[in-house]
Amino acid sequence: MTTTDIPAPPARPKRAAPAPKRRTKREREGAAWVFLSPWVLGASVLTLLPMVVSLYLSFTDYNLFDPPRWVGLRNYTQMFTEDPRYWRSVMTTLTYVVVAVPLQVALALVVALALKSMKRGKGFYRSAFYAPSLLGASMSIALVWRAVFNDGGTVDNLLGTGGWVNKPGWALLSVALLTVWQFGAPMVIFLAGLQQIPAELYEAAAVDGAGKWRQFVSVTVPMLSPVLFFNLVLQTIQAFQVFTPAFAVSAGKGGPADSTLVYTMYLYDRGFVASHMGYASAMAWVLLLVIGAVTAVLFRTSRSWVFYASEGDR
Amino acid sequence: MPGHRTKGFCASAVALALCAVLAGCGGSGESVGGGKVALRYTWWGNPDRAERTEQAVALFEKRHPNVRVQTSFSGYDAYKQKLAVQATGGDAPDVMQLDYRQIDQYASGGVLLDLAKQKSVLHTSEIDPGLLATGRVDGTQYAVPQGRGTETVVYDVRAWKKAGVPLPRQGWTWDDWAAAVRALAKRTGKPGATDPGQNEDSFEVWLRGRGKALYTKDGGLGFTADDLARWWTFTDRLRREGAVSPAEQTTQLDGSVENTPLGRGKAIADTNWDAPSSGYLAIIPTGIALAPMPAGENGTPGQYFKPSMFLGVSANTGHAKESAQLVDFLLNDRDAAEILGASRGIAVNETIREQTASQLKDFDKTVADFQSSLEGTLKDPPQAPPSGDNALQSTFQRDYDQVSYERMSPHEAAENYVTEAKAELRS
Repeated sequence: MTTTDIPAPPARPKRAAPAPKRRTKREREGAAWVFLSPWVLGASVLTLLPMVVSLYLSFTDYNLFDPPRWVGLRNYTQMFTEDPRYWRSVMTTLTYVVVAVPLQVALALVVALALKSMKRGKGFYRSAFYAPSLLGASMSIALVWRAVFNDGGTVDNLLGTGGWVNKPGWALLSVALLTVWQFGAPMVIFLAGLQQIPAELYEAAAVDGAGKWRQFVSVTVPMLSPVLFFNLVLQTIQAFQVFTPAFAVSAGKGGPADSTLVYTMYLYDRGFVASHMGYASAMAWVLLLVIGAVTAVLFRTSRSWVFYASEGDR
Repeated sequence: MPGHRTKGFCASAVALALCAVLAGCGGSGESVGGGKVALRYTWWGNPDRAERTEQAVALFEKRHPNVRVQTSFSGYDAYKQKLAVQATGGDAPDVMQLDYRQIDQYASGGVLLDLAKQKSVLHTSEIDPGLLATGRVDGTQYAVPQGRGTETVVYDVRAWKKAGVPLPRQGWTWDDWAAAVRALAKRTGKPGATDPGQNEDSFEVWLRGRGKALYTKDGGLGFTADDLARWWTFTDRLRREGAVSPAEQTTQLDGSVENTPLGRGKAIADTNWDAPSSGYLAIIPTGIALAPMPAGENGTPGQYFKPSMFLGVSANTGHAKESAQLVDFLLNDRDAAEILGASRGIAVNETIREQTASQLKDFDKTVADFQSSLEGTLKDPPQAPPSGDNALQSTFQRDYDQVSYERMSPHEAAENYVTEAKAELRS
């Protein structure tokens, strides 16, 4: 899970000592580039270049050992018309997104609300609930997860459910639960958002006779909607790219019976197990486009339900 | 609040950067401090094999004080994937254990060193020429077999005897086997065996028993969807009856003995390779035994002696000579042979095989006796599988998952597999 940058508060304006000589624009730009260079270098060599190469590879047949062979759009046509497993992986991913994202965002919101109203021990609980997000991305937790949900594992022993990870109908849920459990990042963002809501709005609502629920629906939700939207977009993008939990919980196979074969797992399978890097690259590009499209749709719908307080001022 | 963190943040950023720099220095073929040569040597196997390999490597380091060997091992499935990633990234270990399935792909992909270049230190004169030839691709010796192995029905002796079911015998057929696992399931309440339906190796044995082969001479598919559907119908029926392991158990197979139904105490028998079955001893201390694989209905044996586990050297190694020395040591050194025993099958160096035969003990002797009981009764091994086979092994397991979880009929799944296999072999 990527960490979310919380914008730093604007630097306090300091009274700078008068510069001995005013620097030219060119000099200042030069300095900026020097400071930016680590990032620019990293972004271009480690991100941009591989992306360009992968775009090229997506039009080739490349098994990693022999030089790539140009095949035009064949990878794409094969994907859409001849590969039933591809479509199964798409369905699996969509199911996963639809289950995991709302659950995670809702849980994050509920916990954030509970934390906000706490009088004591807030810091402790905030850290405690955030901890899974730090741990959850690690392989070891995912392996523990597999053990917990395996036959003879904790859940089996407590509930007598058998091994979820070996049941096609349940395996994806145990993967989704691992993601939901890592609700720390959206929770912290919600908390920050909740604290931004002016107290007088609640006071005014209370004076008007609004109960807790009414306050939540009429004050909290609209005021929080930009943050809610932000979390929704971020978690959706991440959910489309889920890999580690599915990989570890299914012991690297996407099983049982392809039930946890999410998109990136199938991409990995094509690329690194079956050595069809061209096909895997094509899959990656389709995923990028789909995520872009889904995000665009979310932004479009946001106009009707996201309320920006600053707009209201105008 | 953020202001207080700045210092700590900077310190950790610097530490992180340092770690990255240091990690970057640990590449292949680097020399370590004191002018020592560092080699990386990787293999797959069970803890028993690992322990013995470590001992042999320690002896090698003692003989060659200028060389340090970094070893690592894992189960076969994980190993296969990791090696593929390393090899394609140009970061293959200096010395690597390879399967028959990988030779063709890795040799033609330029991953492996031509071992003839190091023949001054790597001797192969005492290996049977026919066996040695299995490590050749297009006339070049890219790898040397470390042993030969064959498939076996391995079983929990005490549980089988207690059930009062007649023990497996030489020349039993698949029907006899099915009758035995049914009887075992009935009397013990546990499945008689691992469901062999997901195992491409078992399918090959069954197929050869019917006079066919997995692949044709020119690397095409050697069987039809009907053949595969018949095999899967056979195993699927046993699974429905509870005579072999249920889907939830079978799907957990990952190439390690610990995750087989037999290893988890959920079945009486398993189909596996002979040498790795030593791993069961740690789990079933009351004893295991090896029986031949079932033959075809007319008695045609399906199993064969397969060159098991090759050693190859990376084409990118910076220390070709030392790597070849390690390979030579593992194959031809008498002391190493005594340490390694039959953990990778019976030694290929014929002089050593004769010298050490009488000294083999415990499970090594079991394996040696099992192999000699089959000597002369088996048919010739098939040629090295084509490149695509490496991926098809996983496809096979996956497609059978669809059968055992009852999401597809054996016929549908077999059609699926054959389509996928043909595409894989063409590309």
